[in-house]
Amino acid sequence: MTERPLLLEYTARMVYWLMIAVSLWILLRGHNAPGGGFIAGLVAVAATSLMAIVYGCDRAQRAMPLAPLPLTGFGILLALASGVPALFSGQPFLTHAWWNIDLGFTTYKLSTVLAFDVGVYAAVWGAFSLYLLALLNDEGDTA
Amino acid sequence: MRDEHAAEHAGKDWLWLAVLPLILFGYLLWEISRTPLPWQFQLEWVPSLELGIDLYVDGLSAQFLLLITGIGTMVLVYASGYMAHDRQAGRFYKLLLLFMVAMIGAVSADHMLVLFLCWELTSLVSFFLVGFKYTDEQARASARTALFITMGGGLALLGGLILLSQIAGTWSLQGVIAAGAGLHDDPRLPAALTLLFIGCFTKSAQFPFHFWLPNAMTAPTPASAYLHSATMVKLGVYLLARLDPAFNELLFWEITLIAVGTITATWAAVLALRERDLKRILARSTVSALGTLVLLIGLPGESSSLAVVAFLYAHALYKAPLFFVAGSIDHATGTRSIDHLRGLRRQMPFTAAAAMIASLSMAGLPLSFGYVAKSVASVAKAESELMALAGYGLLLVNAIAVAVAAVAAIRVFWGPANQAFDQVREVSWRMVLPPLLIAIIALEFEFIPTFADPVLVDAARAISTSNSFTPSFAEPQAGTMITVAEITLLIGVLLFVFWERLHRFLERFSILERFSCAGFFDRLLKGLPRLAAWHTRLLQHGRLDSYMRVTLLAMLGIASGAWLVIEPGWPGMPGDLGGWRDQAWSLGAAAVLIMAGALAAPFMHNRMALLMSIGLVGYGSAVLFLFAGAPDVAFTQFMVETVLVVVAVTVLTRYGVPIRYTEPRVRNALIAVAAGAGTFILLLQMFSLPADLGMPLWFAEKSLPEAYGQNVVNVILVDFRALDTFGEIVVVAFSAIAAWPLLRRKRKHGSNG
Repeated sequence: MTERPLLLEYTARMVYWLMIAVSLWILLRGHNAPGGGFIAGLVAVAATSLMAIVYGCDRAQRAMPLAPLPLTGFGILLALASGVPALFSGQPFLTHAWWNIDLGFTTYKLSTVLAFDVGVYAAVWGAFSLYLLALLNDEGDTA
Repeated sequence: MRDEHAAEHAGKDWLWLAVLPLILFGYLLWEISRTPLPWQFQLEWVPSLELGIDLYVDGLSAQFLLLITGIGTMVLVYASGYMAHDRQAGRFYKLLLLFMVAMIGAVSADHMLVLFLCWELTSLVSFFLVGFKYTDEQARASARTALFITMGGGLALLGGLILLSQIAGTWSLQGVIAAGAGLHDDPRLPAALTLLFIGCFTKSAQFPFHFWLPNAMTAPTPASAYLHSATMVKLGVYLLARLDPAFNELLFWEITLIAVGTITATWAAVLALRERDLKRILARSTVSALGTLVLLIGLPGESSSLAVVAFLYAHALYKAPLFFVAGSIDHATGTRSIDHLRGLRRQMPFTAAAAMIASLSMAGLPLSFGYVAKSVASVAKAESELMALAGYGLLLVNAIAVAVAAVAAIRVFWGPANQAFDQVREVSWRMVLPPLLIAIIALEFEFIPTFADPVLVDAARAISTSNSFTPSFAEPQAGTMITVAEITLLIGVLLFVFWERLHRFLERFSILERFSCAGFFDRLLKGLPRLAAWHTRLLQHGRLDSYMRVTLLAMLGIASGAWLVIEPGWPGMPGDLGGWRDQAWSLGAAAVLIMAGALAAPFMHNRMALLMSIGLVGYGSAVLFLFAGAPDVAFTQFMVETVLVVVAVTVLTRYGVPIRYTEPRVRNALIAVAAGAGTFILLLQMFSLPADLGMPLWFAEKSLPEAYGQNVVNVILVDFRALDTFGEIVVVAFSAIAAWPLLRRKRKHGSNG
């Protein structure tokens, strides 16, 4: 794309990071309010598609934490790993564990659920970006 | 192959490998004399599946084990001479040893699945050995045929064994035999036995699966002697013999075995007369012998079990040497065609001697072990009333065996010398010793029966029904059997004398080739890819809109069919719309959005506008979800719809798809409306069913206390049904990984153009 609307060009980057932030927020609030890994992943994909359309695939890919394929793999492995601790305590695979961490002012609830949801998020973001960037790619390879 | 260049690369000497089976052989003999059979051995493997390495070695197994290790030793010695100049020798030995292990496992397994695993392993090794000379197209085709037949039969066998284990309630072969007649009334038994028959008949090359064995002669001769004559092809016979005590009272069992055995024995014997290749003649006669074995198993009566084991031994001990001889001749002269082979006794005296001795046994002449086997067999046949017709067939079979033996021993080695073979020399001791030794051992059995008798008697007892059975090799009384033997011999000699004329006569029936099982199988194999190509062209034409139409119409057809069959009539409106009514305005607005999009779509001529109107349907649905109490779904729908429309528009512009939409829109619209209406009716039907709220309520109740989450949907996704979610992301990932290379390549083409 050689010609881009000026407004889009200047705002897209900002909007991209805003969307990523929103997606993280959706990811984290998912357990108690509408949201979760899958939806958050889709928001991130939308952000990546915005990047790709405005600045091209290379730049969209560079803005991601990992290239699409490794990101997908990371997500799946993380989700897989989140189910493993349960096996050590003799529970079925993917039985989630919770720990309350006392931070003084509040207790933070850490759990393997979060790891699982982050895994879903990363896998969805990675996999759909793989499609997206392959479809939109003008030159070079994505991986 | 035997030029200097090859010799330079000649492999190592692998003769020492023969020590392994030799030790095993000696150990077996020693152990048999020391510890009374049967031996049992159990090793846990997968206890939760009741799968264990359960071994049970009785007389029959011991007989097979002795054959496998004994002949195996000889095969390895022979191969060290036969393959001396072959660079691939190492591969050959590995396969042979692997085969030996599989074979030992197969005949000593008591657990039926262990038997099956070893059985399949032997088929696999056989495939590699038949296709050993993989640069030869003929060898590859033969290997494929062997694999298809034996592995296909293996599948049937697996089904049969599973059924059998369910009927008997045990995986143990001994358990099945112990259950014996108690299984006869089970309605599943005929199916189980039919599958078993297919498995055994394919393995042991019975009619109509007999054709793979002669073709398998593309394997190196040591392998042919070992796998395709002495041991592997007898696995089917082994299993039938093993199960015979349980089922030999069944008419189905008896008749099938006798019929198939007789047909195989006779047909293969006749076909042997049509062959010119020494090895193929031997292979046909092996098939014939296997048929005889199957027939003998099918015969009722006590002496039939003795006949089976005696003939099994005799056949292994004369056919292996004869294969060795054929291999030696091939090795020395470069041909196996009996047209050229004459008077070789001067050049190859020791090989000739081995052939003579082995042929005596094959022809069943007095002073040979084959004679003993044949007389026991005739006693067994005399005991049976079913034998009237089969008897005449077997007379012919035996006569042809006599003729084949004469061809191998007399025709090839006697008569005027062929000038072409003046330079031929005797093969090395490694290829002379094995046939000579085995042939002499077989001869020994007749003179000093104390060696062989205990093992054979044990084996016979293992496959006979009654426990009190004490088989013995009493000398056959003079009388009918002797007369039969004489007649057989006479016909055999006549066949040999008129071999040429008979051959030319049979040659004329080229129709046999076209309508043979092999020809049928060949056409089947060739037809299969054509069928696949045809239906792929029909179904996988690559036109997306057509896929869509077919999918929708099929769905519609199935749904309306189910509706008409199961519950014809108009479903009533769902009674309780409770919460929905409160949201009437918002839901109504969503419905307006959806309908606007849907109604506009058929009238769009511009692809962009079409996409937008479809997007409108999606957004409308999202709004619907939002107000119907499913904010998560609504959220997801919004995101999917957005990404989809954006990507679709971008792709359309970049790939240069014509903006004007020219599909047949009336037809498509009609199909779409019909599919929509069908779905609507189905949904109404669903609502009219009483809803089971057990699961939703359980989830809602347990979500907070057990999974610490207030958003039930998400808790279900990441906790209660986390494994499903995991499966889904894996599917998403794999679909992307699969599509990625395709999309990339497409793009490259596009950018070039």
